[in-house]
Amino acid sequence: MTTGPHRPTAPAGPPVSRRGLLRAGGAAALALPPLLGACSGSGRSGTVRVVGVADQQKPLGTLIERYRADHPDARFSTSFAPTDQVQTVVRTQLAGGNAPDAHVLFPGSGSAMSMVELARSGLLTDLSDQEWTRNIPKNFDAAYRHDGKTYLYSAGSSVIGAVYNKKAFARAGVEPPRTWSELLDVCAELKAEGIVPIALGAQTPWVTQLISYALVPNAVYAENPGFDADMAAGRATFAASGWADALGRYQELQRRGFFNANPNGTTFEQQTALVAGGRAAMAVQVSAVLATFREAAAHPADLGMFPFPGGDDPADQWIPAGIVVGLGVAAHAENPARAKEFIAFLGRQENINRWATDVSAIPFTRDATTRIDPVLTDFLPLVDARRAVPFMDQSWPNAEVQPAHFAAVQDLLAGETDVKGALRQMDTAYRKQP
Amino acid sequence: MNSLPGTATSDTPPRAPGQAATSGAPDRTRRGDRRRDPTVPPWIFVVPALVVYAVVVLYPSLAGVGYAFTDWSGVGDFGFVGLDNFRTLLGDDRALRSVGNTLLLTLAVVVVQNTVGLLLALGVNTGIRSRALLRVIFFAPAVVSPVMVAFLWKYVYNPDDGAGLNGILGALGLGGLRQDWLGDPSLALWSVAAMVVWQYAGYSMVIFLAGLQGVPADLHEAATLDGAGTWQRFRYVTWPLLAPALTINLMLSTIGGLKLFDQVYAATNGGPGTASETLSTVLYKEAFVYGKFGYSTAVALVLALFVAAVSLVQLRFLRAREVTA
Repeated sequence: MTTGPHRPTAPAGPPVSRRGLLRAGGAAALALPPLLGACSGSGRSGTVRVVGVADQQKPLGTLIERYRADHPDARFSTSFAPTDQVQTVVRTQLAGGNAPDAHVLFPGSGSAMSMVELARSGLLTDLSDQEWTRNIPKNFDAAYRHDGKTYLYSAGSSVIGAVYNKKAFARAGVEPPRTWSELLDVCAELKAEGIVPIALGAQTPWVTQLISYALVPNAVYAENPGFDADMAAGRATFAASGWADALGRYQELQRRGFFNANPNGTTFEQQTALVAGGRAAMAVQVSAVLATFREAAAHPADLGMFPFPGGDDPADQWIPAGIVVGLGVAAHAENPARAKEFIAFLGRQENINRWATDVSAIPFTRDATTRIDPVLTDFLPLVDARRAVPFMDQSWPNAEVQPAHFAAVQDLLAGETDVKGALRQMDTAYRKQP
Repeated sequence: MNSLPGTATSDTPPRAPGQAATSGAPDRTRRGDRRRDPTVPPWIFVVPALVVYAVVVLYPSLAGVGYAFTDWSGVGDFGFVGLDNFRTLLGDDRALRSVGNTLLLTLAVVVVQNTVGLLLALGVNTGIRSRALLRVIFFAPAVVSPVMVAFLWKYVYNPDDGAGLNGILGALGLGGLRQDWLGDPSLALWSVAAMVVWQYAGYSMVIFLAGLQGVPADLHEAATLDGAGTWQRFRYVTWPLLAPALTINLMLSTIGGLKLFDQVYAATNGGPGTASETLSTVLYKEAFVYGKFGYSTAVALVLALFVAAVSLVQLRFLRAREVTA
């Protein structure tokens, strides 16, 4: 009999002995792994595990649904996160031998999750036998292929240009500029009207690179299309190239007061709000984030996009156009057959078109059914005329150059360094071993 | 037959202390007695926890030490490179600058957080009517995720004249004090420090409060009878008896400051440039951004040894000045 304070009585039943408890615990422990295995969506259950970046959620969600309509037995487990987090997660899973069947993969080289880096380590499945790979244009080889094998699926390329607020331009009575000189004039008129000419959210590291990337095609590749090869062979440096002119012009925009105050303290989200709300007239951005700008605007049709002029001859305008982040199939996937079949499905023209539409990209292969976002109309002739240069980091030899570029631009904007110093930082990073 | 203690045979059935030996009793121990069986060494109960600790903490840590001597990229094969990673670290300007930043950040956090925490503790240890509510309010930020705090403070630190802290300064007629809090290289580190202090001052307060409530009231009464004023009672009664709480607070805030990562990464990502880079952000970037796990592990090892050394020195020094009532 129990003495002491009254306590709620447990439902009547046989008393549980310590041995009985241990037996029950042991049985539960033995039963747990298969149970968890069944719930985890692992390969044994036939579920295809896909890990992507946040930008891929919309197209992948739609296309998985369409795939499942044709394959009702197929099961998918998906997860999405911002770039830096997904990079951490997927690399850790690859290192631990627990790779997702299909995962985010960055084109070319220059990042720890790039196609070249992972292919070199034997972590990717060769997709070369798939039909769609035959339509990849030769000039995109470096983004999709390594050692002659195709490892990346990506729907096409996004471009960098100026996302602009048409109403702000109209208020100042200006039109999108076609040359660098016109750009300076337009910015001056916008500024005189009390409108911030160019919103810059340089506190978000990846935003820092976009103006350089917009200016470098004219400053470097228009003169020397073989610049990447020269860099790789040690025949060129950033400091002694057109990169110095590009960063000089970047600095000039700041010196003339054409950016918002305190760009280093301004985030991408604040940059977006400035343009969408009309307080700023434009932002140099990648077309893949157009949807974000449109969501922030009261009227999405108020926003347009034009090639950001890096030179003074409209007939010789060059632009940056990079293959968008895509998917790869892990070499040690639990469901390689199903994952490859899904990638083959994504490679059909109608699905390439769908994915490209969702991320405002230009499909790498087009047919009569292809519809391109109307705001990209001005970019198409430049892409087709081969005056589009892949995003520069996609050919850099290691993952340190891009962050060095971010830091150099922030230092430049803060007045902590000059153009020479900034490019010296990038050259030092470039020469490091991958 | 002689038997060692704890190795009794059926000739000498094991008995719990106080159990009477009964002649003719069956040669079996009753269930209740076996629970106190002296043949089962007490440390056996620690074994499950030790096994879990070894598998989850010790093994990964020791394996990590091994990677510090390799060129592992985080995926694929690797080779041993001896002390190369440590030599690289000695010549790595970015890492060395981050050591300076880490020390400055730690110093700022330790001094300000504990000063504010002590003042808050003294404040809510009085007879003020709303003290229970105030304790909850001051402690509340400590239970919020550091990353969430950083995102919230990015709004506070909005560089726009009319937004956040700058907006408040403007409204108070202090527009001249507006700053680019996270975008100015000379301010970014201190802005992060202020954010950390805001979050954890309440945590320090709780520890000081526990110390304050352990100070006997009769010592204060005796000091008052001896003519001691408020300051003298604090200086000669309260402060010496707060030494154990101070030891804990200084240790926790120093260790927390030295390995600070979340708030820095989420608020500034180490920027602008490398102005707010700390050792933790450097080792994270080396591993997950640059794909240099071997080198990153070497940085982590140095950081761990540094934190251990600082903590040990601090502990010895602070323990020496502790007194009891």
